[in-house]
Amino acid sequence: MAIKSYEEMNELEMDILKEIGSIGGGNAATAMSSMLNAKVNMSLPKVVILGFNEALDYLGDPEELVAAIFVEMSGELSGIMLLILTKEFSDEVLFRMLGKVDSDFLELEEIDSSVLMETGNIVISSYITAMASLTNVNVELSVPQLAINMVGGIMSAPMSLMGQHSDRIMMITGQFTIDGKALDSEMLLLPDVESLNVLMKKLGVE
Amino acid sequence: MEKKISVGIADMKITRQEGILITYALGSCIGISFYDPMIKLGALLHIMLPEKGRGNDSNIYKFADSGIHETLRKLSAYGATKRRLVCKIAGGAKMFEMKGAGGLGNIGERNAQNVKRILMAEGLHVASEDTGANYARTMLLDVSTGKVSVRSAGRPERFL
Repeated sequence: MAIKSYEEMNELEMDILKEIGSIGGGNAATAMSSMLNAKVNMSLPKVVILGFNEALDYLGDPEELVAAIFVEMSGELSGIMLLILTKEFSDEVLFRMLGKVDSDFLELEEIDSSVLMETGNIVISSYITAMASLTNVNVELSVPQLAINMVGGIMSAPMSLMGQHSDRIMMITGQFTIDGKALDSEMLLLPDVESLNVLMKKLGVE
Repeated sequence: MEKKISVGIADMKITRQEGILITYALGSCIGISFYDPMIKLGALLHIMLPEKGRGNDSNIYKFADSGIHETLRKLSAYGATKRRLVCKIAGGAKMFEMKGAGGLGNIGERNAQNVKRILMAEGLHVASEDTGANYARTMLLDVSTGKVSVRSAGRPERFL
């Protein structure tokens, strides 16, 4: 039976998404690990289906400044992939890559922005590549974009996209740890409802 | 400490005499404040999309058209008079370039245009606005004075 809304998903379908998140996340962690030359792990993924306001609560203070790398998926799957890094996480990346300490989050130098963007790019592409080869779907990714702003404002992008057909969004989430240090970050895969059906069909679940 | 009333996404709150209505981190969404100074009645609406369209979506405050109409209906029930209402808007930013936005293009800009068009059709004019650009805004309406302010990261607080 085709999935018409996020709420309709059954346990098996949710498990499959978790599996996809786990394989994608594992790959993303490996990519980040070789980039930062550190041991990077990713937490077990969660699949959450939340209303707009609940989704913001889930991510914490809506006014918190974060660095977000944003990629749009198109092709057989459509939706958004976001890597959200707190100031603490972004500092860690900039320190490991450039030896910088405590950069001004709102006035990043060009090189700092490029490093964050590239980190996001590599992590997101590894995630999607793993997902695509597991499920045998064709996914095209847009050029990544970086924004440093309030997390609530960042989330308005996926929400307004999904909000046209739904009062909820579905996020497949995961957090990174670097060298055993848990730093706040979120890897969010936000597929639209149609894409869920494509994934299930490809995996033979119907 | 003044009482703060938080307005969520696709949400609207009304209060009178005192208190601060606040909506956090508007990105492409729009915050619309309505204030009747005579009776110190204020409303803050947070919409997400420009039009309700034909779908039977029950979340009226999600859309500019249905959200504004419902807010005006409630305000009038609370005793507001349209010609006294002062409206201000904030938000409508473009956080990212989006291609696949279902033909919506720049959602923030479309939201701002539609909000202004609908308010105008209702005979209301926008007294002041802070819209566009690429950053999020938190909007506050102080119901005891009617003052509206906007705060965003790395910029001084601005009164509308």
